[in-house]
Amino acid sequence: MTVDLQINNSASPRARYLTWAPSPCRIRLTDPSGASTPVVNVTLTGRSGATAGSVVFRKTATGSSSTSLSLQLPIDGASVPFFVLGRFGQPSVSDGDVDIEVRDGTTVIGRLPAMVRIRKNANTLTPAERDRFLSAFAQLNDQGHGRFVDFRNMHTNAGSPQAHGAPGFLPWHRAYLLDLERELQAIDSSVALPYWRFDQAAPNLFTPDFMGVSDQFGTVSFNANNPLQFWVTDGVPGINRRPFFDAATDSASGITEAQTLALGNRYASFEDMEGNPHGFAHTSFGGFISSIPTAARDPLFFLLHANVDRLWAKWQRRFDRFDSTVAASFDSNPSNPIGHNLPDTMWPWNGITGPPRPPTAPGGGLANSPSVKAPGPQPRVQDCLDYQGRIDAAAQLGFDYDDVQLS
Amino acid sequence: MSKARNKKRGKRAKPKRASAVKMSSSAAVTVATNARKPVKERIAAMANVTQAVCEKDNKFQALLKVLRNMNEPIRVRLAALQALQAASFAVVQFESRRADYLATLRAVATDADPELRQRVLGLLAREKDGFAQQRLLEGLQQPGKALLPPEKALQLLSYDIHADAYPVARMIVKSPPNEEAKREALRLLAADASSKPLFERILNDKEETKENRQLSASALQAIAPEAMQTHARELLLDPKEYDDIQATSLTALTQFGTAAKVEKDEELLKRVASLKSAGSNKLKRGARRFLTKYGS
Repeated sequence: MTVDLQINNSASPRARYLTWAPSPCRIRLTDPSGASTPVVNVTLTGRSGATAGSVVFRKTATGSSSTSLSLQLPIDGASVPFFVLGRFGQPSVSDGDVDIEVRDGTTVIGRLPAMVRIRKNANTLTPAERDRFLSAFAQLNDQGHGRFVDFRNMHTNAGSPQAHGAPGFLPWHRAYLLDLERELQAIDSSVALPYWRFDQAAPNLFTPDFMGVSDQFGTVSFNANNPLQFWVTDGVPGINRRPFFDAATDSASGITEAQTLALGNRYASFEDMEGNPHGFAHTSFGGFISSIPTAARDPLFFLLHANVDRLWAKWQRRFDRFDSTVAASFDSNPSNPIGHNLPDTMWPWNGITGPPRPPTAPGGGLANSPSVKAPGPQPRVQDCLDYQGRIDAAAQLGFDYDDVQLS
Repeated sequence: MSKARNKKRGKRAKPKRASAVKMSSSAAVTVATNARKPVKERIAAMANVTQAVCEKDNKFQALLKVLRNMNEPIRVRLAALQALQAASFAVVQFESRRADYLATLRAVATDADPELRQRVLGLLAREKDGFAQQRLLEGLQQPGKALLPPEKALQLLSYDIHADAYPVARMIVKSPPNEEAKREALRLLAADASSKPLFERILNDKEETKENRQLSASALQAIAPEAMQTHARELLLDPKEYDDIQATSLTALTQFGTAAKVEKDEELLKRVASLKSAGSNKLKRGARRFLTKYGS
């Protein structure tokens, strides 16, 4: 007896990635030999080591989850749907480190490796997680000739009004990070973008093996094994970053996470975080990251913004601000600039150029994902709010943070 | 910042919570710019001035005045600079402030305090500001006029590879005032494809510093990737080569090598296999990654 098991309703191995949100799956009998009844009772469980990822199951998209799930599979081969979620607090550390196992009684009749792929605190990554991330990032940069050029060119003075200083700041950067993360995953599917908690010391981040260490003038150096030593932007190798704080022992300047989450329960208040802590995290350094036209030349930029996005996700969860039809979930105003209203498509993914949009649109559409369909190649501002698919399961963006639960 | 947005649009009032934040931000500017307040209190207040700086021109001007005032404590001036720079990230609101901000930065670019000079010139250089570029170049050509050490000036000039800095960078590589200046001159020249022979020479020169050789590897990988892959192979096969350079070579081959070519190179594979078992820790680590990608 054999079964066909599909995660995210896809046969592709590149779709076998889970978050805290329910992933739609299906299972069917492909060989019912030995079955004596019209349906076969099977049990699904997750199998993994103590430090590996862990999963739970649901029969439907909503409701409670359990560590195992009993299903009845028709012998005619019809598919039976179910849902799998990463168990909160137990993300994977390596690709395929959790098996979804299917049993008929005590006999294993199917098994599929999966990964609970979650954005984690960069300071707590395992060396292997860190190295996979760095390797993928260096390949995306490809000595200044790779696809990263587009990401660098998206974040300049020309495109800045599309991304900053108005309510679309957070949605735009959420799409920007997602686009980059999906490109990294096209290189190594096991990579998730880590975040830098800038309100805490991160001694494991500012090391020669990770984001590098800065000398007194801000030239960043790396160990010989670190592929970021080949980082090139704008034709110039290397990274300039001079922290104005002791990066080994201190946090950057700016308000704390608790203070940020206390900015208010309406988006119109919370968005003030663009100045502090976001702006202060940037300006806690000299070098690339401290100015808009050069900030994206530093890989740390993306870890900083992953934390900005995480803070938004935390705030969304605290105040239930996922529904774009709820006024407090966004700062809607008829006079918002273009690109900063919920129904607006966002530059550069929409490809629109010329005033009031910027003169060029680098990079094309937003990268797709083998695991989820949203937000599509031309995301709108409103597509970035319901990232876990709470309001609409189809809106799931396919990422989660290690400390932001689904419910 | 949202309060400023609403004011600019002339639209609805903000919720009560945000008004309180706004008051606090205006009050923060009052504290931050009050010379009679303790320095520590003024610096702490700078963390909350961003909104008010965007909303009110008088608050913005008050902060600029602190930045310009050489009689103010330098720590307060530096904190004012950081607060203004953080506010500048809100480009839409800050646009009307931008000209005054840049003019003030140019005014303090020649300040007596070296730290302030360095930060301000850095900000201007990242904006590709012609005034800053000119002053940096002048300082390299006439050291008596230098606002920054040569290595920092070169680093800042590398923000704009059209800054006509190649001739002076080549001059510094030939006759460097210090190793750091040579390193930064090389980094600047890495954007110039005609510098390939220079980087090949340095990469293969065992008398050069490790930093300059690794930088040359990075530059070559960018401007002449095939040549770098050949050099990386030769450096790895050289039993007298230093560990750091061999580790860098391994990283170059692992990250950017062509599998079809590397996997047929038995001599190279054999050498890396030997490093995996008998090399230093960094070579073992690099060899493991290489063999994971290319080995059987």
